[in-house]
Amino acid sequence: MQQLLNGLFLGSIYALFAIGFTLVFGILDRLNLAHPAVFAAAAFVGIELVAVGGLSIWVALPLVAVFGAFLGLVIERVAFRPLRGRPDAHFAGLIGSIGLGGMFIALLLWRYGPDTRRFPVEAFPSTAFDLGPARVTLLQVAILVISVLLMAGLTWLVARSRLGRAMRAVAENPRAATVLGLNVDRVTATTFALSSALGAVAGALFALNVNSAQLGMGTAIELKGLAVIIVGGMGSLPGALVGGLILGLAEVFAVQYVGSSWRDLVAFGLLFLLLVVRPQGLFGSRRVREV
Amino acid sequence: MSESVLVFIALNAILAYSFYAVLVAGQLSLGQAGFAALGGFTAAALAPAPSEVGDLPALLVAVVIGMVVGALAAVVLGLPTMHLRGVFLAIATLGFAEAVRILLINAEWTGGANGMSVTKVVTPVIAWVCLALVAYWFWRQGPSSYGRALAAIREDELAARAMGIDVGRHRLSAFVTAGAVAGLYGVLWAYYVRLLAPEDFDFARAIDGLVMAVVGGSTVWLGPLLGGAFMTSVPEVLRSIGVEAGWIRPFISSALLLVVIIFLPGGLGSLLPRVGARAPADLAEGGEGLAPRSGRALPSPGETVVRVSGGNKDYGGVHAVRDVDLTIASGEVVGLIGPNGAGKTTLVNMISGLVPPSSGTFEVLGTTPGRTAVHKVAQAGVSRTFQHSKLFPRLSALENVLVGAHVVSRPTFLRRLLWLPGARRDESQVVVHAARCLERAGLGDRSREDAGSLSYGDQRRLEIARALAAEPSLLILDEPAAGMNHVEADALSRLIGSLAAEGLTILLIEHNVGMVMRTCDRIVVLNFGEVIAAGTPEEIVNDPAVVEAYLGGDDATPPGTETEEVR
Repeated sequence: MQQLLNGLFLGSIYALFAIGFTLVFGILDRLNLAHPAVFAAAAFVGIELVAVGGLSIWVALPLVAVFGAFLGLVIERVAFRPLRGRPDAHFAGLIGSIGLGGMFIALLLWRYGPDTRRFPVEAFPSTAFDLGPARVTLLQVAILVISVLLMAGLTWLVARSRLGRAMRAVAENPRAATVLGLNVDRVTATTFALSSALGAVAGALFALNVNSAQLGMGTAIELKGLAVIIVGGMGSLPGALVGGLILGLAEVFAVQYVGSSWRDLVAFGLLFLLLVVRPQGLFGSRRVREV
Repeated sequence: MSESVLVFIALNAILAYSFYAVLVAGQLSLGQAGFAALGGFTAAALAPAPSEVGDLPALLVAVVIGMVVGALAAVVLGLPTMHLRGVFLAIATLGFAEAVRILLINAEWTGGANGMSVTKVVTPVIAWVCLALVAYWFWRQGPSSYGRALAAIREDELAARAMGIDVGRHRLSAFVTAGAVAGLYGVLWAYYVRLLAPEDFDFARAIDGLVMAVVGGSTVWLGPLLGGAFMTSVPEVLRSIGVEAGWIRPFISSALLLVVIIFLPGGLGSLLPRVGARAPADLAEGGEGLAPRSGRALPSPGETVVRVSGGNKDYGGVHAVRDVDLTIASGEVVGLIGPNGAGKTTLVNMISGLVPPSSGTFEVLGTTPGRTAVHKVAQAGVSRTFQHSKLFPRLSALENVLVGAHVVSRPTFLRRLLWLPGARRDESQVVVHAARCLERAGLGDRSREDAGSLSYGDQRRLEIARALAAEPSLLILDEPAAGMNHVEADALSRLIGSLAAEGLTILLIEHNVGMVMRTCDRIVVLNFGEVIAAGTPEEIVNDPAVVEAYLGGDDATPPGTETEEVR
């Protein structure tokens, strides 16, 4: 029971991180490898806001989201927009975002140094509840609620709102969207901003959850994020949620029953198996190629 | 430059070549770190110790073991994943590499996370000799028929298939090459760093390799070498000019990466002058027409080339093609006309094997398209153009046609590696053949231009030249005159006429009804997926069903010679 809950909490952070990844991939067909750098940067900035700025965590989180959105705009403008329309735009965007992500991390190193940082102890009340045999902290509940609310909000936004319709139109056919008067550049930039805002909140929550932030934390979660979006299906938002939860649970149970050194093997074994058997993921749909 | 920088440039360039090996075929694999780890560890564990047999023999044995293990791992990984494309392949291979790393950390024989201690044997000379051999391999591969086939797959996989290239086999062999080169990297790394640890082959290393290959240029054989040298020496240069450790060095490295990718689309390699296949100045030898190179005789006149009976294709609830019977005899020029959405392209896609029929039997030149692989149908003598041009945009016009000649040219890569004179002879023969095909299509002076930069009409003609280069028995032209003016369309008519005179069987889809009437012996009219009329041009013009289908009215004029359909 305790393990189940732990897996759920961990999984909701994975999902929140991955949903930003998959949003950009699903709509723009680009893999943004600067996303992990946003994740790490947001954790450090969040810690600074709370520890140095003296802000409450509830004020700091929205600010972190805004910061993430800003980074998203920068990523789109610098690493993706100049590469549009190239025959190898896919590879080029991948490499460009790696470069920009590296610059972000270098800037973090300059501002915060190489050491691990933590939120101050009093940043979050350490209330805990007993749920039968299991023990749940208020923090964990908050993480779960925030993640689920954000993901539900995003799903609603994409499915129902005017902006979401524009995003799906751009996903379907950017040129046709332009002809119909949509500002594709603005929709693309907004998508990046949203995606990075989610990644940023995920970073701050992750740092709260494990009570530490390191420069390499993005790289560690990057692989898991990729695994999650594959398991869920590339570009599928509910898929990313379910995939994140599955991965969180699988990891926690793997540590429990197989040992921590094998934890990541379980994740990647599952991933590999799924890719070979069902490459479109659990929720993805296969696109029919046209002749 | 210190010794270690020299060695690391060579090692990094070899790693970059293992990415280049698959990038030239348009595949993105991140499994190379896994191949390198398997190769390096296995070789270090199995090869005799340098203290017993001497440095060089021990290293040679290790290199052989490492490359074989890397190649085998690539086969094992490649067989189940070759149907994946793009990012999916990248992530599957990445998952494999991570799994390998975790296995190695947890295994006894590798020393676990502490790693394995290996004698240092590799010197700068050894590293650079290995690099030179790898670079030589890819230099010779590029302009061979194998290398061109890989480039074609990168540019347009479907078109490559239709040109008779066995895409699965080529992709797998590119993958295995990558595995062997990565294995070599793993061994050299092991015998240089003294302490071999699974952490040496992590995700970051894979990304480094990919970055070096792309920065150097993933379509130029010198690219990985340039990329490796650039990315390895930038931090060294920064150090030597006094930039301190800390954030500035990684910042500048990353920024340079971004700058290169944005401002040098083809990577550093694009700064080098491009050498492509060149058309020979003199095409006179051998006289007119297409001298057969394949040795494959055309089917004798009157022999059945295509037999379709009860051909059906459904897309969900849409019946694109319904119960079509069609027989084409050798030497015939058959026109296939009908309004938009009548199912013409679907029908020829089924005949050329690109789309499996829902039901019905298809027999084309002794193959059964739908069950026979597309490239086998092409090898049997079916060649086609596409309604929307599917050229290889970053290859020159001549190279496009050379790919078209894939099924009639002999493989030259292995002979090129050994500089056997036969390879050069075969290559120049194919080039002459391709240049003649270009000439016939009226593109003789365009041979060195990139296909993607040609005008629309020239692209249509290039598709025809490419299809001709395969010396087909059955040539399928899907709206070749679309977008051409009258003069160009007339020239095309004459070309089709002269091809028919040589005995080719031609299936022509065209909206320019006048052209179809002039060129074809027999016309088949499709509407809503069904054959509504078939016969000679005169019979078709006067068929009321055809008039009805085209003009929808009762008392309308027949689709006369000047009525071009408005689309």
